[in-house]
Amino acid sequence: MSAYDNPYSRFVAWSKIVLPLLALGLLSTMFLISRGFDASGVMPFAEVDVKELAREQRISAPNYSGVTSDGSAISVAASTARPDQTDRDTVNATDLRAEVETLSGMVIELSSSSGQINTRQSRAVLDGGVTVMTSSGYRITTDKITTSLSETKLATEGPVEATGPGAKLSAGRMELTQSGEAGYQLIFQNGVQMVYTPQVN
Amino acid sequence: QGAQVAFGGLKHDSSLPVEIAADQLKIDQNTGLATFTGNVLIGQGTLRLGAGSVVVEYTTQGGDVQNMRASGGVTFSNGAEAAEAQSAVYAPGSGQMVLSGEVVLTQGNNALAGERLVINLSDGTGTMEGRVRTIFQTGNN
Repeated sequence: MSAYDNPYSRFVAWSKIVLPLLALGLLSTMFLISRGFDASGVMPFAEVDVKELAREQRISAPNYSGVTSDGSAISVAASTARPDQTDRDTVNATDLRAEVETLSGMVIELSSSSGQINTRQSRAVLDGGVTVMTSSGYRITTDKITTSLSETKLATEGPVEATGPGAKLSAGRMELTQSGEAGYQLIFQNGVQMVYTPQVN
Repeated sequence: QGAQVAFGGLKHDSSLPVEIAADQLKIDQNTGLATFTGNVLIGQGTLRLGAGSVVVEYTTQGGDVQNMRASGGVTFSNGAEAAEAQSAVYAPGSGQMVLSGEVVLTQGNNALAGERLVINLSDGTGTMEGRVRTIFQTGNN
């Protein structure tokens, strides 16, 4: 490097060396000194036992919908469903919800904590406490309900409690069948107690 | 000819809750009828109506009870008065009950028999019609 006589040229010559080094230092901080980037933290893995899932063939959130022979739309949904070990055609489901919408526009919603759907006999059994709500404002609670998936036929095994607009009813057994082409028959049996408060009009 | 009957004990409030007990209840959506069968007992306040079967007809829109047709041997009682007939029609709205078919009405120890008994529950009056026969207990002195 030729010697310069005046301080300014010396300063420029020195800065031509020091400034690039400084830039190099700054650049390296981006890569060498920066905090480690742990890729694993970003994607949390689900702690589900994969082996159990594979062995059990469990379906989550299954739903089945169809139209019954008399034209009412029926849809059944559950949170989990797993095939029954003993009977190949039965599916055990938990937290079952079924909805029947009849031609006359009445909507019946059934929900229960567990149930079995047998597609070959096209029959669903809801048990473990069933609540039935109809759009006409009736709320029926019972323990177990068997409903057919191919036609509108619904029957409870045990006692049933029903509350509706201005009426309260309890009976030993309830059955809903289809009568005539679009009408329905609700039959309560084995002793019926009903309290009806007339709306004072 | 008819006989005026004071159904005194019949001050009756037809807005009280109606209790119905039976062996079976069938609600048919087509006809809008609810049929109670099998020793049916209807209670409203002090009024008791027992029958073989009762058909309850609802008003089409409100879903309120239009009338109840009881048949198969009806026994009706309200406090001291009691009546028996083959069939009865009770309209809770108007508070009118019509018993027909071999009606026997007992009030205390007086008895009155006829073909048809029309009772107006709200003001407690009744008229017995058709072949009215009556038995008065003359005092026992």
